[in-house]
Amino acid sequence: MKASFYPKFAWDGIRKNNRLYVPYILTCTGMVTMYYIIVSLSASPLINSLRGGPNIITMLDLGSWVILIFALIFLFYTNSFLSRRRTKEFGLYNILGMGKRNIARILFWETLIASGIALIAGNGAGIVLSKLAELGLVNIMKEEVSYTLSVSGFALGRSTGLFATIFFLIFLNTLRRIRSASPVELLHSESLGEKPPKTNWFFGALGAVLLGAAYYIAVSIDDPLAALNWFFAAVVMVVIGSYLLFIAGSVVFCRLLQKKKKYYYKPNHFVSVSSMVYRMKRNGAGLASICILATMVLVMISSTASLYFGTEDSLMNRYPRQINLSTNMLYPESLGGHNLPALRAEFLRIAAAEGAVMESITDYRLASVVGVLENNAIEVDLTKLDKNGPNAKSNIYKVDQLRTFTNIYQIYIMPLEDYNRIMGTNETLAADECLIYTAKEKYAHDMLAINGGSTFKIKKHLATFFSSGDTVMNIISPMHIVVPNLDAAIKGISDLTDSHGNKLVALRWNYSFDTQLDEENQIALNAKLHEAVKEFNNNGEYGIDSYSVDSRAANRGDFYGTYGGLFFLGVLLSMVFIFAAVLIIYYKQISEGYEDRARFDIMQKVGMTKKEIRKNINSQLLTIFFLPLVGAGLHLTFAFPIIRRLLLLFALNDVALFAIATVICFLVFALFYTLVYRITSNAYYAIVSGAKET
Amino acid sequence: MSILEVSGLKKIYTTRFGGNHVEALKNVNFSVEQGEYVAIMGESGSGKTTLLNILAALDRPTSGTVLLDGRDLTKIKESDVSAFRRDHLGFVFQEFNLLDTFSLEDNIFLPLVLAGKPHREMQKRLEPVAAQLGIADILKKYPYEVSGGQKQRAAVARALITNPRLVLADEPTGALDSKATDELLRLLGKINKTGQTILLVTHSLKAASHAGRILFIKDGEVFHQLYRGNNTNEQLYQKISDTLTLLATGGERQ
Repeated sequence: MKASFYPKFAWDGIRKNNRLYVPYILTCTGMVTMYYIIVSLSASPLINSLRGGPNIITMLDLGSWVILIFALIFLFYTNSFLSRRRTKEFGLYNILGMGKRNIARILFWETLIASGIALIAGNGAGIVLSKLAELGLVNIMKEEVSYTLSVSGFALGRSTGLFATIFFLIFLNTLRRIRSASPVELLHSESLGEKPPKTNWFFGALGAVLLGAAYYIAVSIDDPLAALNWFFAAVVMVVIGSYLLFIAGSVVFCRLLQKKKKYYYKPNHFVSVSSMVYRMKRNGAGLASICILATMVLVMISSTASLYFGTEDSLMNRYPRQINLSTNMLYPESLGGHNLPALRAEFLRIAAAEGAVMESITDYRLASVVGVLENNAIEVDLTKLDKNGPNAKSNIYKVDQLRTFTNIYQIYIMPLEDYNRIMGTNETLAADECLIYTAKEKYAHDMLAINGGSTFKIKKHLATFFSSGDTVMNIISPMHIVVPNLDAAIKGISDLTDSHGNKLVALRWNYSFDTQLDEENQIALNAKLHEAVKEFNNNGEYGIDSYSVDSRAANRGDFYGTYGGLFFLGVLLSMVFIFAAVLIIYYKQISEGYEDRARFDIMQKVGMTKKEIRKNINSQLLTIFFLPLVGAGLHLTFAFPIIRRLLLLFALNDVALFAIATVICFLVFALFYTLVYRITSNAYYAIVSGAKET
Repeated sequence: MSILEVSGLKKIYTTRFGGNHVEALKNVNFSVEQGEYVAIMGESGSGKTTLLNILAALDRPTSGTVLLDGRDLTKIKESDVSAFRRDHLGFVFQEFNLLDTFSLEDNIFLPLVLAGKPHREMQKRLEPVAAQLGIADILKKYPYEVSGGQKQRAAVARALITNPRLVLADEPTGALDSKATDELLRLLGKINKTGQTILLVTHSLKAASHAGRILFIKDGEVFHQLYRGNNTNEQLYQKISDTLTLLATGGERQ
């Protein structure tokens, strides 16, 4: 046969089967688009440069993998439906004298055309949509974040490469099917009765166990650092668990119901349960995908929305006062003597010159160090705990290394004098006594030793501690120790350095206050103070190592930029996901309507009333539709605590806000979902009741 | 006592566009006695299928009455028709019409489940029927796992399990090979011997030759009928064949 015959024939095949092919190509296109957008955003250097950008990128990266796995499963599944319908056609060609080799060639061309369209349209739509997304983002953020519009070659290459591989695998799978079948089998394949699904207890149970374990992890973790650590594991477990439960678990459940004869042989259970077994077998993967998509959408929208709407809250937590000064000192002595009075006097002078009266001054010193708690002793020299040996050039202080310790604390040591001043208390301590506060769990011993330093008796466990900007952003759980004398307490450890020569103990002086100035003048005052501290810093006498002078007003734009951007991303991705979910469910139910038509026709002949049939269809569709929604709701409920911990990293501590955002998102999603259900069920009824006319 | 009485049955189809009238049934009159085995024969287009649909209450006649046990089928409310069909009629179809999502056993149970019978009673009713039809040991199988003949026997079991007043069989041998056909006809004869009234619609000579009486339909009317009398199946076969030849060549009405 002429070579040009094949592409032409393949094109005709696609055109004639447009009712099957169009949704398939649309699905492929949607997947490619989705993937392109996510990868291009995650590879964007602009996002990386945002404050909190690396966090977004981690999320996007995870999202891109989830989408890829989802695409692989979902496309195989959609295609299996398509090719089952097509097998009959190929059987006919085979009988009419076309060899399997020829059919393979036609199939190859069909795959090439379909994937070509999907890749070009998908990437095209991806480029346009990601541009749109960026444009919208610039618009929302006014001028704060400026996104240049670009085509990401990296994303283009990755989406094209990976999806081309998926399409090729699908092609091989179809080929394998065609190759192993005889012409008569091919011809009759469509009408071949479907085998009843096998009950797979093992996978059903495994799904339940995985899901249970993931839920347990999500609920039991209360440390943001550990949350970050386990979050990905929990996500993967939930994904696998959902798939197993929906595919195997649902069949096991239906089979159990069938075994209960009293329950099963009832008019309203009999038909539903037995059809559900088949429906779940065919729809399990799709439903699991929808469930996971819905969960992703809900998590994304609710967390980004609460971040965005909680920006003020985060800002307050991060910058407790309008103006926040913080200096790190080189030597313990720098925190004493005439140093701080001189700085305070200068600040006061500048504020007065700017016409500001300082209010609610928070003024305290502290020493901050990372330490691992072993029994009642704190080891601050982590290089000693390094598996690679104490003196190796280790990166032990990097976050991913710190994660490997379970009992790790960010330790803040504060002099009693400062504590009493801020809290307005009148605590007294003997030289070997201290006050202690831990956020995670109550400190269990009555002694506390700082290895290489002092040892204290615990005089009192504090119930609360004032929140400083320092502690809010920290992913390591804080431990506050109030000591009678700061110098004495850190004597043995203040000179320790890590393998790069950096001091382990940070000696900090925080000075923050409010004024009656408006925002513009606050920023101006902040700039003046910044200049002043810079002068002090340049003058080596004061022993200032580093410093920061931040005004809340100046950071507001930055915060809104980051959180608004995140929120926007969340909305964008959610729209894409919802589109995919809708497509899956609509396409599946419609295509199944044709198969169910004959079945309901028979039931009517055997004596089922139209009303009963309608009721039955309704209950089955309802289950199919709302099972994923219920699953998503459950996932979301259990994800709530762990996501709350993660939001702490963004300095968002408003649980009520997050709860409300989650509930609203779920309700909006359910409403939207019900709408799709209505449309789909109407179309489905139309197909099934059309049976009478044939 | 006659179980089924059909009188003055007329069915006119009106095409959707143009208002063309097609008279499928002109004037059909016949009755079926309790325990009879009646075959209705006719060529394609003779009105056989229309008649069967009306008898099955799947369709309504333009005029005329169908009395089943003295009750007029054509007057039953639309909402009660399904329940009536389920409780009083048994169906056997050419394509078996078994649901592939059910095992054979559950397929047979279907009408009983719909009627809300308890499981114990279903089981009690199933045993004799399954034994009679020789499907007792394949009840747990699914339709795709068994042969056409076995499927049809399961379908017969489904028709019989409700103890219907009348079994309507529409070309039950149409999709079977000759061996399965012989077996099924033998079974239907046996079932009839137990007192079950059967109405068979077919254009297969062989199928009709097992019946006790044969009605011939042509152009929407009962054209002729044959009684078995003392004839064997073979003799009846010959008679039917003669009648059909006569009908086809346009012989006068006897």
